[in-house]
Amino acid sequence: MIVPERVLTFALDGEIFAIDAQAVREILEVPAITRVPGAPDFASGLINVRGAIVPLTDLAVAFGMVHADHGEDTRVIVIEAEVEGEPTTIGLVADKVLDVAAMEGVPVEEAPPVGMRWRADFIRAIARPQGQFVILPDLELIFAESLGMATRQERAA
Amino acid sequence: MSEDDPVAAFRVEAGELLDSIEAALLDLAGDSTNTGLVDEVFRGLHTLKGSGAMFGFEALARFTHHCETAFDRVRKGQAEASQALIGVVLSARDHMQALIDVGTQGDPMLEMAGEAILSSLEKAVANSEGMAVPRAIQTERKGWHISFKLPPGSMANGTNPLPLLDELRGLGDCRITPRLDEVPPLASLVPTECYIYWDIVIEGDVTCEDIEDVFIFVIDDMDLAITPLIEEPESDEPVEVLPVATVLAAPQPVAKAAPPAQESVRVAAERLDELMNRVGELVIAQSRLAQLATSSGPVNELTLRAVSEDIERLSAELRDTTMAMRMMPVGNLFGRFRRLVHDLARETGKTIELVTHGEATEVDKTVIERLADPMIHLIRNSCDHGLETADDRIAAGKPVSGSLTLSARQAGGEVLIAITDDGRGIDRERVRAKAEAQGLIQPGAVLGDGELFQMIFHPGFSTAAAITSLSGRGVGMDVVKRSIESLRGTIDITSTQGVGTTMTLHLPLTLAIIECMLVRVGEGRYAIPLSVVEECIELPAAEVTSTARRNFLDVRGELVPYLRLRDTFGTDYPADLFQKVVIVGQGRGRVGLVVDQIIGNTQTVIKSLSRFHAGQGSFSGATILGDGNVALILDVGNLIVAAQKNQRLLGERAGEVA
Amino acid sequence: MSASILTVDDSSSLRMAVRIALTGAGYTVTEAGDGMEGLTKAGAQRFDMIITDLNMPRMDGLTMIREIRKSGKQTGVPIIFLTTESDDGVKGQAKAAGATGWLVKPFNADQLVKIARKVLGR
Repeated sequence: MIVPERVLTFALDGEIFAIDAQAVREILEVPAITRVPGAPDFASGLINVRGAIVPLTDLAVAFGMVHADHGEDTRVIVIEAEVEGEPTTIGLVADKVLDVAAMEGVPVEEAPPVGMRWRADFIRAIARPQGQFVILPDLELIFAESLGMATRQERAA
Repeated sequence: MSEDDPVAAFRVEAGELLDSIEAALLDLAGDSTNTGLVDEVFRGLHTLKGSGAMFGFEALARFTHHCETAFDRVRKGQAEASQALIGVVLSARDHMQALIDVGTQGDPMLEMAGEAILSSLEKAVANSEGMAVPRAIQTERKGWHISFKLPPGSMANGTNPLPLLDELRGLGDCRITPRLDEVPPLASLVPTECYIYWDIVIEGDVTCEDIEDVFIFVIDDMDLAITPLIEEPESDEPVEVLPVATVLAAPQPVAKAAPPAQESVRVAAERLDELMNRVGELVIAQSRLAQLATSSGPVNELTLRAVSEDIERLSAELRDTTMAMRMMPVGNLFGRFRRLVHDLARETGKTIELVTHGEATEVDKTVIERLADPMIHLIRNSCDHGLETADDRIAAGKPVSGSLTLSARQAGGEVLIAITDDGRGIDRERVRAKAEAQGLIQPGAVLGDGELFQMIFHPGFSTAAAITSLSGRGVGMDVVKRSIESLRGTIDITSTQGVGTTMTLHLPLTLAIIECMLVRVGEGRYAIPLSVVEECIELPAAEVTSTARRNFLDVRGELVPYLRLRDTFGTDYPADLFQKVVIVGQGRGRVGLVVDQIIGNTQTVIKSLSRFHAGQGSFSGATILGDGNVALILDVGNLIVAAQKNQRLLGERAGEVA
Repeated sequence: MSASILTVDDSSSLRMAVRIALTGAGYTVTEAGDGMEGLTKAGAQRFDMIITDLNMPRMDGLTMIREIRKSGKQTGVPIIFLTTESDDGVKGQAKAAGATGWLVKPFNADQLVKIARKVLGR
């Protein structure tokens, strides 16, 4: 299990998520979002990040959570990720950005295959700093899956 | 542009050289005594050899050297530019391309293939006018005796004898003897003077000019004696022709090709200057603006407007200049087809005359690159199946030689490229029969020629062997159509039986920036490429509330299907009271797009959609608007298809009800 | 260390072309926009080679070459001038002023690099 050295933590539907801090390019207040009709809920819109058109994705959808309305603390985390082997810039919605933390010394466990409301393979690991429950999502798998779904939708249409 | 990769630059340059060599060879085939063309081929080969060696393409330099020698002989009237020689040098040209592709590390297999070509080359040169074989003589050891002394003061002025000696060593095996007898005693020695002079014996395939070239900068003032080491053999008596090895076919493309060169654009220096000037002006305008912003007191509105206008003009000019850098004359593209037509003529045994017009018409570089394959297919089609054999042409009372015309011209925001042959034309009855058999059209349906000929673009249609005049090779015409559409272009066909066929490609001038009409549907703003917009009308009141099964508009007597984009995009934002219809057309299709509001025209820089949305059929890309928001660009071709499908479904349902 | 070359030309695009060609071939390039600037730069630092245009505002190439040689700061340093015609008169004048060699415009990157290799031997 590869755990990043430093992570950015953020809140989503009452849970805490953590992603590799190295992948984060910037954190934005929610910009104007252009909805793409017919796009999957997971990536339903586009935003303008310094002249680049970037898809905005919502992990809440992938994890089947309640999708909160954008509030005062809502932010967009712009990350650089591999999507099917290609480096891609992607925006992630976060209810609130919490902290950048070092992972050294933090106990980390595999995701238990049962007893969770989410797909276990979407979770790379669970970190337990001071008894908290922090989800390290497998972004690459989530992106790849949602692309696959988009392709299937297209075929079905 | 990769500034630090001369090898990449060499590849680009070599590609251009090979193209011009090929063009000159093809011209020479029809005009074998044209010395200008011979010179051009010679110069091209000479440059290729020279720069190839410079960038480490040694196999290329060695190989090219032989072709250069052959053409040098033609140039000096010692050999004839025969069809055989031109044919061999054309295949040598392909081999040179392969040597460039394989890179500097070389490939022994490829070089063996080269030997076969060289054998044919020898034969071709030897056969002409009983002239001798060049290689046999050229490789014979010979050489020169050189003695030189630099002019006084030349060392202080930057002439260094050491590189000169190195350069001589580069020409051939050298024995260098320095002569020291003029070196003065130390006391009277001027350190910036060169007192040493040299005697050199150089052996190898070196000409007197090669040696003089080494000393070019000082030759007028220096002492230089060059005498041949041994007498050159008189080539009066023909030398025996070397046994010719079995000629291999043209070398296969190398599997282990070098990685593709980084994409670069060659830009005329004057365009760079122009760009630089604009940037200069922009900097000035910007500083004026900054001054206004920091000045205390009220800002003069007129001054501000003047600056704003300046910046607007400059950014428009900058955009045009920058776009112009991406433009290339289609002549580059047409040039490539000369070889194709030459080869096709040989293959089919037909005489084909290629005529080109409008080579100077400029098109975006990307368009040119992506146009090559579909055009090859169309040209092949015309030569293979459009043009008749000589016998058939005579029987039809046509000139024996078939003609294929490539022409390009600009019309508005489009470039039109036409491929015209004077062949037998498309047999519309056979196309119709085939289309009916495949269920593409109703038996007896009334169709115009344009509409009927579009049938050949249906997948599986054009490859049908029965319609010989249309059958393709490997890929069908549907692939051609798709690649043209991916460039936001269309294809028109006109054809008269017995007279010929013209395929016209309509292409956008440039891909990166397009003029768009901005519309609003619900909350979202969308861009429609202006090139496909035919007109805008108000949605008739009767249609606004209509839930009728038929969604047709009567536009001056013509029924046009329409799509309510509010439904297509699933918006629940309140609809505008007055809905507008934008009538768009592409190729044969025409459809009305119902929108809430027409906002106006805008210039947009097209950006591709993210991978998450690339599969959304309704959009071809996205763009950033003046206020920083993202707007989607409608893929009109796909929407037309959707509308037509929609109509069919509605029609079927209506049928079920009835 | 790579050889350092001073290029003197009032056309910025030509300077750019020279710079791209020479840096591409591994040389270090310093630019000057006219003869005066060229002379100043040649007075401040020793170069391995100087490439200059002849027709320039403020100070023309011939004057600059003469002044550079006179200064003694660049003794033995090759100076190549760019000329549009293969006019022997100009060549003679420039060589008398102290130039080492010439390159006829228009030239391509290969020819330029070839000249640099020729006079520098590297």
